[in-house]
Amino acid sequence: MELTVNRQRHQIDAEAGMPLLWVLRDILGLTGTKYGCGIAQCGACTVHIDGVAVRSCQIALADVGGEVTTIEGLGTPDAPHPVQQAWIDHQVAQCGYCQSGQIMSAAAMLALQGEPDDAQIDRIMSANLCRCATYPRIRAAIHDAARRLATG
Amino acid sequence: MIRAALVLLLLVHPAGAEVMSSVVAPPQEGSVIREDGLAAWDRVHAVVSHPRCANCHVGADNVPMWSGPEYPQTGPHGMNIDAGDSRIGAETLPCTTCHVTSSAPANGPNDAPAAMIDWQLAPVEMIWFGQSSAQICAQMSDPARNGGRDWIQLAEHLRDDAAHGGFVAWGFAPGGGRQPAPGDLQSHIDDVLKWGAAGQPCPG
Ligand code: FES
Ligand code: FES
Repeated sequence: MELTVNRQRHQIDAEAGMPLLWVLRDILGLTGTKYGCGIAQCGACTVHIDGVAVRSCQIALADVGGEVTTIEGLGTPDAPHPVQQAWIDHQVAQCGYCQSGQIMSAAAMLALQGEPDDAQIDRIMSANLCRCATYPRIRAAIHDAARRLATG
Repeated sequence: MIRAALVLLLLVHPAGAEVMSSVVAPPQEGSVIREDGLAAWDRVHAVVSHPRCANCHVGADNVPMWSGPEYPQTGPHGMNIDAGDSRIGAETLPCTTCHVTSSAPANGPNDAPAAMIDWQLAPVEMIWFGQSSAQICAQMSDPARNGGRDWIQLAEHLRDDAAHGGFVAWGFAPGGGRQPAPGDLQSHIDDVLKWGAAGQPCPG
């Protein structure tokens, strides 16, 4: 099966029903995307499919209908995505486990909502859990990223 | 025509597609007495007020509900979910972020509910959650609030949605240990037609 991840095409030899998360982590070795719950409850596995946030533990390989972007493809250490840069500047991560999912959700949100207010951020990010409760820093970094994206 | 559509669908969704088929065979208009029509309505109501259906037929706050035997108490969908006026979460978090569109409706206990069409709330005028039987009956028989359908078109809508692996099919076969809507698709369609042939009588 053909799959485009981070602008690269791959031929994947796996069961059609294998969750995208396993394909990314176990077959492609892209371990930045995390496995938290496996049941759409935590958001740790969030990736983009054609720019939309998707829980990769939920979607089967056969159902992936677009290009996948993972945290590794959002930006690079040399040229981070504005959301990644804001995360670094605000030192959002504590243990870090939830953070690639948080960043992917935040980036997808900011593509839809230019400058969300706190209530909108809470509404949109509530499905991404953080065991370390970094929520205030997540919010601050999102506001910052929104400003950076607006000024290009 | 339907057969051709089904074949196409199966080609597009080769992986274990489960398409639910049914027939619409309307009785002669007026051939069903009011009493039998009302009894048929009661069975229709049992289906549409069931949590599998009503949880996403919610009002203008655009917040889906979690209710039914799977939940310890009735309340709004967890995670602060708001599907927005778009009813698909376009303004916030798309429903499809977790409820993925699937060729093989996700039925494992680990899966969020999924269907073969994009997950979404029903249009706001089709509110069922928390409504009385009489209110739902009035809505379903009013073309201004039911998608412009007469009673036969209502039945055809059920048939076509289920044939495409939509939410009607999901409601009767939700998988994952969830309680399905009562009865089955064919008897639901037959009841809608009986109710329609009796002149869409409503209780109360
Ligand atoms: S691992 Fe996918 S939502 Fe938790
Ligand atoms: S930083 Fe530890 S779970 Fe979020």
